[in-house]
Amino acid sequence: MQNDLTKNRSNGQQPAETFPTAVSPLQAETGPAKEIISRVRTTGLHVGFGPREIIHDISVEFPQNQVTALLGPTGSGKTTLLRTLNRLNEMSSGFWMSGRVDLDGRDIYQDFSDVREVRRAVGMLFQRPNPFPQSIEENVAIGLRAHHIVPAPQIHQEVERQLINVGLWDAVGDKLDESPFGLSGGQQQLLCLARTLAVRPEVILLDEPTSSLDPISTQRVEDLVTRLKEKVTIIMVTHNVQQAARISDYIVFLNEGSLVEANWSREMFINTQNHIVEDFLTGRMG
Amino acid sequence: MAVQSKNLTRSGRSAVRSKGTSDVSLGDRLVRWLALLGAAFPLVAVVFIVAVLLINAFPSILFNGWGFLYHQSWAFGNFYGNATVTRNGVTAPAGASYGALPFIGGTLLSSVIAFLVGVPIAIGAALMLAEKTPGPLRRQLSFFLELLAGIPSVIYGLWGLIVLGPFLSKSVYPVLSKLGGIIPWLGGPVGSGQGLLTAGLVLAVMIIPIVATTTRDLLAQVPTLPREGALALGLTSWESVRYVSLPWVRSGIVGAAILGWVRALGETMAVLIVSGNGANALPANIYGPVSTIAAAIVALLDSAESDPTRLAVSALAEAGLILMGITLVTNILARFLVRRVSVTNLPIGRGI
Repeated sequence: MQNDLTKNRSNGQQPAETFPTAVSPLQAETGPAKEIISRVRTTGLHVGFGPREIIHDISVEFPQNQVTALLGPTGSGKTTLLRTLNRLNEMSSGFWMSGRVDLDGRDIYQDFSDVREVRRAVGMLFQRPNPFPQSIEENVAIGLRAHHIVPAPQIHQEVERQLINVGLWDAVGDKLDESPFGLSGGQQQLLCLARTLAVRPEVILLDEPTSSLDPISTQRVEDLVTRLKEKVTIIMVTHNVQQAARISDYIVFLNEGSLVEANWSREMFINTQNHIVEDFLTGRMG
Repeated sequence: MAVQSKNLTRSGRSAVRSKGTSDVSLGDRLVRWLALLGAAFPLVAVVFIVAVLLINAFPSILFNGWGFLYHQSWAFGNFYGNATVTRNGVTAPAGASYGALPFIGGTLLSSVIAFLVGVPIAIGAALMLAEKTPGPLRRQLSFFLELLAGIPSVIYGLWGLIVLGPFLSKSVYPVLSKLGGIIPWLGGPVGSGQGLLTAGLVLAVMIIPIVATTTRDLLAQVPTLPREGALALGLTSWESVRYVSLPWVRSGIVGAAILGWVRALGETMAVLIVSGNGANALPANIYGPVSTIAAAIVALLDSAESDPTRLAVSALAEAGLILMGITLVTNILARFLVRRVSVTNLPIGRGI
């Protein structure tokens, strides 16, 4: 019965012609498709805090220049996995891990001399906007200076370029000296995105970036994310199945800290054989 | 009904009676009166203290005029002769001359040294404790910081006199003195170690605990989210502190620093012991003997009581009034600064 429903829906809304050609359903069942060019990859990853293990033996690849959605029920370890990818978990007490996390073939926990370089290369946008208590311009300029992205005389110009890039320039161009806390939540989140993009990341982690935003701001962020994937690889935690359906190319599904399924989004929405994934995607769970 | 009657009691007892509110018990009324008394007490106390100071200082104000603020000599005159001088209707022993500039200057200079030396150290200590020290060690270090705050000021004074002063005058001041060619106040004889700089440094140690613990508690309130944002951008922990944590609590830190300054302004015993008691001149250099208003009042009050004309006590009261004025101005300045900073920069409660 459930299968029938799923098939009906898929036949109606997701014509087979639009599937990514690189993937076959068979490969999807045995693991990530061979055609994935991965930017980020975890191998045998275990993560925990103190006596609790949160992430159990996850080996997964995140395809380059695609939007990957990390899906799963509350408490499935999505955010913990995400924060392992830019070493932000290290700040939490009791953090431990085993296994590897690779960025372009380099272990981010071993092969980078400086954690700052990892975090520059792997940017992050949080659940709620978190601008710095500095002027709007400084919010973007701080990262430019800290990572020597452009020479000092060009910083102002570069700030402008980044604000234009996220579509915020018209709103804030004449008040760069003001506090960002006067902006709307959506504008603040775009500012945080501009700040993240300014340091030229290769990967951007999004931790439910629209969960505190109104629908219009959400749409702006989603549009930007879709556009940004031409340049960066995007990994996004979301609770929102519709959002995953709208903007993700690839889905990594976690449950209770384990990898349940990783596949191209359309493939997963239509052909998943896993009842947990199916219940979640169809709204019976989650 | 009960709520209504409570409101009515504020507007008058007759109203309460006419409503027949026997449910307002004796205990309720007692608590209300006690609360009113408690609320009124600070106001009454301040008014009373200022009034007493003013009344007592009045003869001195008449006798000395504005000169009290800028003259550098402080002499009670001859208490035991019969000769007197009268000015503006106030009689004083012959030779009486009151100029409080050395005390006012000593108060301001020593507290500014304490501020300049103590506040950066205190903020550094707070940053270390809040950001960089693991939990168990943090608790122990904090304990010592609070212990430091509890040491009686006379002990600080003794330490300054016996240990710090001699050490500084032998080992540190001669080196500093060589910089005299560049910074004028640093040159000249370094003295015995009792004087302005020693007093300022002892005061600095005394204000560190209050500024450091307040700043530490403020830093602990900075939310995790913006700090993580800084780290996730690849900033160092120092950059995170500089761009996020410190600006976040800037107004509170300004307040804490001023609190420390006010403490240094009013500190008496330790300064009395290490300042060298220079009453009749401002110090020639940064090592010279000074006295502060608070220390001078303590040092001079006993002999001032022997003045048959009571003018000596009146002059000390006027000095006390000036100290209160300085403290008041500092407090107002602090409030102004805190408000100005918070309007432009304090993000708490907005957009987060």
